[in-house]
Formats: sequence, C-alpha cells, structure tokens
Amino acid sequence: MPVGYSIYVDRPSYVHHQLDPRTKLAALGAIFVLALAFNHPAVLGGLVLLVLVVGRLAQVGWRSMAPFLAGSVWFLVLGVVIWPLYVQGGPDLFTVAGQSITLNGLLFGLAMGLRVALMVTAAGVWMMTTSPQKLTVGLLHLGLPYKAGVAMTAAIRFVPLLNAERATIAEAQQARALDLRQGNPLTRVLKSVAIIGPLFIRAIDVAQGLALAMDARGFAARDSRTSIVELRLTRADRIIMYSLLGASILAVVLRLLGIGLITRNYL
Amino acid sequence: MLDGQAAIEISDLVFRYVPSGPEVLRGVNVRVETGEFIALIGQNGAGKTTLAKHFNGLLKPSSGTVRVLGRDTRSAPVADLARTVGYVYQNPDHQIFAQRVRTEAAFGPRNLGLGQAEVDRRVDAALALVGLQDFADEFAFSLGRGQRQKLAVASVLAMEPPILVVDEPTTGLDQAGSRGILDLLSRWNADGRTIVAITHDMTLVAERVPRTIVVNDGRILADGPTRQVLSDTALLRTAYLRPPQATRIAQRLSDLGVAADTLTVTELYTQMSRLLGRGG
Repeated sequence: MPVGYSIYVDRPSYVHHQLDPRTKLAALGAIFVLALAFNHPAVLGGLVLLVLVVGRLAQVGWRSMAPFLAGSVWFLVLGVVIWPLYVQGGPDLFTVAGQSITLNGLLFGLAMGLRVALMVTAAGVWMMTTSPQKLTVGLLHLGLPYKAGVAMTAAIRFVPLLNAERATIAEAQQARALDLRQGNPLTRVLKSVAIIGPLFIRAIDVAQGLALAMDARGFAARDSRTSIVELRLTRADRIIMYSLLGASILAVVLRLLGIGLITRNYL
Repeated sequence: MLDGQAAIEISDLVFRYVPSGPEVLRGVNVRVETGEFIALIGQNGAGKTTLAKHFNGLLKPSSGTVRVLGRDTRSAPVADLARTVGYVYQNPDHQIFAQRVRTEAAFGPRNLGLGQAEVDRRVDAALALVGLQDFADEFAFSLGRGQRQKLAVASVLAMEPPILVVDEPTTGLDQAGSRGILDLLSRWNADGRTIVAITHDMTLVAERVPRTIVVNDGRILADGPTRQVLSDTALLRTAYLRPPQATRIAQRLSDLGVAADTLTVTELYTQMSRLLGRGG
C-alpha cells in the first residue's frame, strides 16, 4: 500500500491488516488511560512488555522499537533523580545532602520514566503498524470531516520528511563551521536558530506545495468522496474494543481505590 | 602547502549508510591536486553526492581513507574541516536563515572565530564576487531563486576555504544564472583554489571544467581530461549519460572531417567554417 515516506512498515501481520484502524486507535487510547491510571513501576513495566509483545506479534523488529525505548531513557534517569526528592514513603534507603531517599521515591521515579516509555513505545508501534491511509478512512467512519482527516494523515506523513530536511539543514550548517557540540546550553540554543529557521521555511514551502498539488488535482471538489480502502469491524475487533473499554474502566476504578499506585499524592 | 600533497586523496573508499546495508561507494580511488577544477558527473543515485560528502567529513568511510590536505577525515570534526573544505548545498533554502543577506554571508566566517573587520572584508568580497553587493542589506528571503543560490555560494566563499565543493550549483537556474555561477567558480579557481562541482550540465562542463570524473553505480567509471571523457560516447552510455550536444553533432559529422572530440559550439563553428571554406 502506498504510504509515502512514513515510519509505517507494511508487514503481512494480523495487526497490520486484519485489525481495524479504529480498534488500533482505541488500543492506543486505552494504553494512554492505563499509563496515567497507574503509577507503580511493576504495572507500567508490565504494560511496556505487553506493547513490545504486540509489536513482535505484528512482526515489528526489535531494532525498529529500540529507538523509542532508548529515547525514554532520559526520562527514566531524570525521574529516578528528581522524584525521590518529592515522594517519600517506604523504607529509607540513604541520605543525600540531608534529604532522605526512600524506596517509594525511587519506585515512583522509575514509574514516571516507564510511563513515558510506555506512551512513546505504544505510539511508535501504533504508527509502525497502522497505515496512515487506513487510519484516515477509520477516522472518516468516526465522523471526522475528510479535509481534517487528510490534514491529519499529511501531518503524520510529514514527520519523517521534515526530519530528513532537518538532517540536511544541519549538514549544510555544519559545513559552514556551525559546531553544535561546543558551547554552553544557552549558546547551543542560539546556534540551533540556524537549523530551526530554514526548517520552518522549508515546512511552509512543503505545505504550500502540497496544497497547490492537491488543489490542482481537484481536492475538495465534492462534499463527500469514495475510498479505495473498505473497512469492516469484525467480531475480533468488537471483542478487543470491549476488552479495551473494560480495561480502561477497570483502571480508573483501581485508581480510585488506590490499587496499583505508589502514591495518591501525584498523578 | 606541502609539495606533493594532494588537496583530496581517497583510497579504496567503501561506504555503506547502514553497517549491514548495500555498498553505496564500492572502492573509490581519486586524487585531486591543489588548484584543480573538477566536475563530478553521473546519473541520479550514482553516488556523486555521497562521494562529495566525504570530502568535508559529513560522511566517514566505512573502509578506506579520505585525506584532505593530508588530514584523515575520520579524526576531524566537520566543523573543523569546514575551514579547509567549503560545501555548497544544492538547495539554498537548506541553509538561509538570517534576515539580511549580509548576516547570512557572515555566518560561516563568524563560526570560524574571525574578528569583525575580517568578517566584513570577506563578506564584502564574497558578495561582490557573486554580484550581490547591492543586495547586502536586503531581506535574504526576498531574493529570487538565482540570487539565493548565489548567496548560498557567497556564504561559503566568505569562509575562503582552499577547497570548494558545490553540489549541483545550477539546478533550477536559467542558462544565464548557470553561466553566472560557473563563471564565478572559474574565477575562484583562477586564484589557485581547488573546486569540485557536481553537475548534470554537460555543456557547462565541456566549456569550463578541465577534468571530469564519471561516477557510476558507486564506482569511478572514468577520470581524465574533460575532452577525452565527454567525447567517449560508448563510455558515457554505460553511465546513462550523453556527450554535450556540440560533441554529438561533431561525431555525426566526423566523416566530413570534424574532430570527434569537439566539445563546444565555438569549436564546432570554427571547424565548420574551415570545412565550408570560410575563415580559418
């Protein structure tokens, strides 16, 4: 299926082709609810594993998923460093500069990192297994105006394209002796203007070009349109959606009951 | 500059974008002397840009070595090599970010850590060289395509690198614009600087560039005097290229005594005049 330059990778898997895009969207939504409902690292870690397993079932390679996990490592580190200063509880582990670090503090920090990892990885797996084209059709069935649907898929499709543009611009500026590795954080931010500036201009250029090309081919000439992609919710889709709904409700109830939490004081 | 030291020396360069991926460059050997003006030609995807990006260390060899003025690019950061090798990108919009033309051209020299007076001198000289001196205080984005291209070139020239790499400097320019850029490169080269230009414009290569390298499928297919390379129709066909129009006409007329290695319209005209008994 032509999807252009997106991170979607077509694989002959059940998740890619049999599952309705609406089901996959619901799954992503449910994961986000679960991620926010719990703040215990065991629960969140389990959910991360679940997402990875689904990714593997969908024949997504470890290598494709690893960057999403790796990108979350900083949040994990920051979480573990910062949260113990705010969250107290459980046995004291050690003292740093007069501040006692507790087990619950560390666990909560870990949980916050895992929460980011969960959301990012789930979104990554979702994007790699859901064709933008099918997603648009799914959203149209949900009542989205098709112009908005196209705008949304275009946005998804342009993420990798703009990333490639950013890389080219960074190269062009490095070739003019821009050194992004040196200087303090402030000067580095100032230096990045040389990359963000052209990137904005390119983004506007690309958007204008796309709009013209679409107008030239009669986009929005009619109020409704047909689609080459036909969607049908199967029995399996329904079962999965009800389970996801059930899981989300259960998660909220557990949250209210205080189960699966390190602390109730923070989200 | 040391005697016998090449501007760029590449030996057995192999390059893959991903470690287990296909070889994009497959054993390239090139030596570019100081002061040469070289054209890199080849079809899209042949590996020209990939090769050129090794010249300033944007890409590092998977195996083999690339030396720029004797320095191994693997151990040199791009921002350092930028002092030695200027690289002009194909699309000026990938680099223009400053409001004013002058500020844009000053970006490179400032990054080199030069003083204000020296930056001003170089910027003025570079803008004058490309013919943008009267636009120095204009908005960079309000320039036309051809002028933006010239600004991109000027902003690299202002760094006064001894070696200059230009990636398709004439894309999207009309004939006058293309000639303007090539004239500029010729003048820059006349000052003893080394220039490598990636281009698809055979006519301009034939007219201006003394040495031509044909890249095909990640290898150097031919490397020699432009006259010899561009008149070898069979060789160029292997690389899906065609000799310049004047050469093709000359080769069709070779039984009339027109030299098969004629490169330019002027050369063709001179020979035809002689054959027709006029002038010469």
